[in-house]
Amino acid sequence: MPHEVKMPQLGMTQDSGVIVAWLKAAGDAVAEGDALFEVETDKATMEVEAATAGWLAGVRKGEGDDVPVGDVIALIVDSESEVADHANAEAEAEAEVAATDQTPNEAEQAEETPDGAAPHAPEPAPASKAPAPMPSAGKVLASPKARRIALEKGIDLAALRAQGVKEPIHAEDLSQVVTGGHSVLTAAVSGTALDALLASSDNANRAALFASFARGAWRVLFDAETGVAIRALDGTTTMTGEDSAALTLVDLCDTRLTAYAPAGGGSTLTTARQGDGYALTLAFSEDALPMPLAIALLDDIAARVENPIRQLL
Amino acid sequence: MREITLSQAVNEAIAEEMRRDETVFLIGEDVAEAGTPFKVLSGLVEEFGTNRVIDTPIAEPGFMGIAVGAAMTGARPIVDLMFGDFLYLVMDQLCNQAAKTHFMSGGKLSVPLVLRTNLGATRRSAAQHSQSLQALGAHIPGLKVAMPSSAYEAKGLMKTAIRDDNPVVIFEDKLMYQDKAPVPEEEFLIPFGEANILREGNDVTLIGTSSMRQVCEKAAELLEADGISAEVMDPRTIVPLDEDTLLASARKTSRVIVVDEGHQSYGVTAEIAARINEKAFYHLDAPVIRMGAMDVPVPFSPALEDLTVPTPEGVAANARKLMSGEMIHAA
Repeated sequence: MPHEVKMPQLGMTQDSGVIVAWLKAAGDAVAEGDALFEVETDKATMEVEAATAGWLAGVRKGEGDDVPVGDVIALIVDSESEVADHANAEAEAEAEVAATDQTPNEAEQAEETPDGAAPHAPEPAPASKAPAPMPSAGKVLASPKARRIALEKGIDLAALRAQGVKEPIHAEDLSQVVTGGHSVLTAAVSGTALDALLASSDNANRAALFASFARGAWRVLFDAETGVAIRALDGTTTMTGEDSAALTLVDLCDTRLTAYAPAGGGSTLTTARQGDGYALTLAFSEDALPMPLAIALLDDIAARVENPIRQLL
Repeated sequence: MREITLSQAVNEAIAEEMRRDETVFLIGEDVAEAGTPFKVLSGLVEEFGTNRVIDTPIAEPGFMGIAVGAAMTGARPIVDLMFGDFLYLVMDQLCNQAAKTHFMSGGKLSVPLVLRTNLGATRRSAAQHSQSLQALGAHIPGLKVAMPSSAYEAKGLMKTAIRDDNPVVIFEDKLMYQDKAPVPEEEFLIPFGEANILREGNDVTLIGTSSMRQVCEKAAELLEADGISAEVMDPRTIVPLDEDTLLASARKTSRVIVVDEGHQSYGVTAEIAARINEKAFYHLDAPVIRMGAMDVPVPFSPALEDLTVPTPEGVAANARKLMSGEMIHAA
C-alpha cells in the first residue's frame, strides 16, 4: 500500500504551502526521517521528512507550486518496481480532479459519512422500525401536543388507536377527526338465559351483569381493558372495573322507557325490557368508535346476554 | 454593504471601543506585535501602543488576575485567552473572583471585563486545543456568555460586551476567522439576550450557536428539498438567553433540534432543550433533540475528528425523523 506524502500544516493560519525544492527525486530510495522537500510558509522555510521508508514515486507537484494543506504531493511505495506504476501521477491527478470536480477533502468527507447521518446524533432504537402492534393495550402513546388537542376537542385517543391510528399519536393524526353527533345501534335479544341466571341468586345485580358483559366484549374486541360507568336512575354513577370508563351503562329495565341518547361525548349502552327479552341500544360517536367496531361490540354484548356462559370463555 | 472577515470585525470593534473609551485595554499572550496566532489583533499595538496592548508571559492565571483587579478599580480590560481550552487555567480568577465580586461587595465593586477566547474542532489541533467550553462559563451565575455566529455578530456583540459593566466571555469559532459577512460601516451594537431568526419555517425549529448556525442553515436547505420547512434561530448570547423567541418558535413548529459544538452531555443543548420542554411541553409533537459534539476528547486523526461534530446531514436526518412521526428514542 503506497504511503501518501501530503502538504503538512506548519502554522496555525496556514492553508497552503509553496514547494521550494525537492530534495529527493522520483525513484530515489528514502529512509524514514530523510528530508523529502522544502516548503515555504508565511513564516519560514522548512524541510519535510519522510514518514516511512521506501521509494519516492508519483511526484505530482513541482518546485514553485502552491499546494493546499492536506493535498497529496507524492507517494512512497514499498518496492522499486512500483515506481514505474505511478510515473504519470501528475497527469492522472489532474484527470481525477477534472472528472470529479471535487477537492480531495470534499471527497474524503463524503466517504466518511456515507449515509449522511451524524454518528453522534441520537439513533432510533431498532425496535422502533417494527410496526407497533395495533391496537395495543394499556396507555395510549401520544405527543404532549396531541394530548392537549384531544383534551380540548374531547377526542378519545384510545378509540383513535382502536381505529388503527399508529402510535405515537401526533397532532397531525387528530386534524382529520370530526367531533360531535351520535349514531345509534339497537339489538333485540332473548331474555330466557339471563332471567334464569338472575332468578338463581338473591344477590344478582342486573346492571352489574350487563356491565361485565360489556367489559368482556370490549376486551375481546380491542385486546384492552375498559371500565364501565353505571348511571343509576337517580343520576348517581358507579364505576365498575379498574380502568377509566370508555362506556356508560344506563339500565332502564325497571321502567317503561326503551332508550337513552346522551348529549355529551363517549359511548352509552342502554338496556331495556322488550317483551320477554331485552333491547340493547348503543349510542356512540363514529369519530371515536367506527361503525364496524360498534356493531361488533354490540353484537358480542348481545350474544353474552342470550348465552351468559360465553362470559366465562 | 461591504463584506469583512470575522477577524476584521473583532479588530474593528476593539479599535473603535479603545478610541471611544481610554480605559479600555488589551492584555494577553502575543496580542501586540504578533496580533494573536490568528492575526485578529494586527495593527492595534501600532495605534494604541504597548501601554494599552499588553503582551504578557505565558501565565494565564497571572494576567487574568491582573485584569480582574484592573476592572475592579476602574479600567475596562479585554483579556485575550489564546485558546478556549486554557479556560481551565483561569477558572478561579473568572468564576470565583470576576463573577462574584459585584455580589459579594454588596454592589460596591463591578468587574467590567471581557474575556475573548475561542471554540471549535476540526482544525486538526488535537484534544487540548479544540474544545468548545461555553457551558463552563454559562454555568456560573455572574458571567454573561456571547457566541457570535458571523462577522456581523462578532462586531456587534464585542462592542456590547466592552460596554457591559459585568464580566462577559465571548467565544469566537476559530474556523470562522476568515469567513466574510456583510457588516455596516456605521456603528452598531447587538443587545444581549436577543435571538436572531435567520430563516422562518413551520415544521421544525433548528437552534444553532456560533458556527452551528451555519450547520443549521445548510440543514434547512437540505430539508427544503424534501418539502420540510425549517426555522433557523441563533440565540447569539446563551447568558442571557432569549427564551421568549425560542419558545415562540417551539410553539409554532412543535419540533425542535438544538445544536451546539460543546460536548452533548450536560451541555448548552441540554439546558435549552430542558427549558423548551418545561415551558412549551403541551405544544411539542416530538421530543426536543440535542446535538452536541461526541462525548470524547477531540481526536487528532482528521477522519475521526470530523465524526465528532454535528453536520448539516446529521441535523437534516434527525429533522426527517421528527417529521416522520416514528417513535423517537432521543439519546
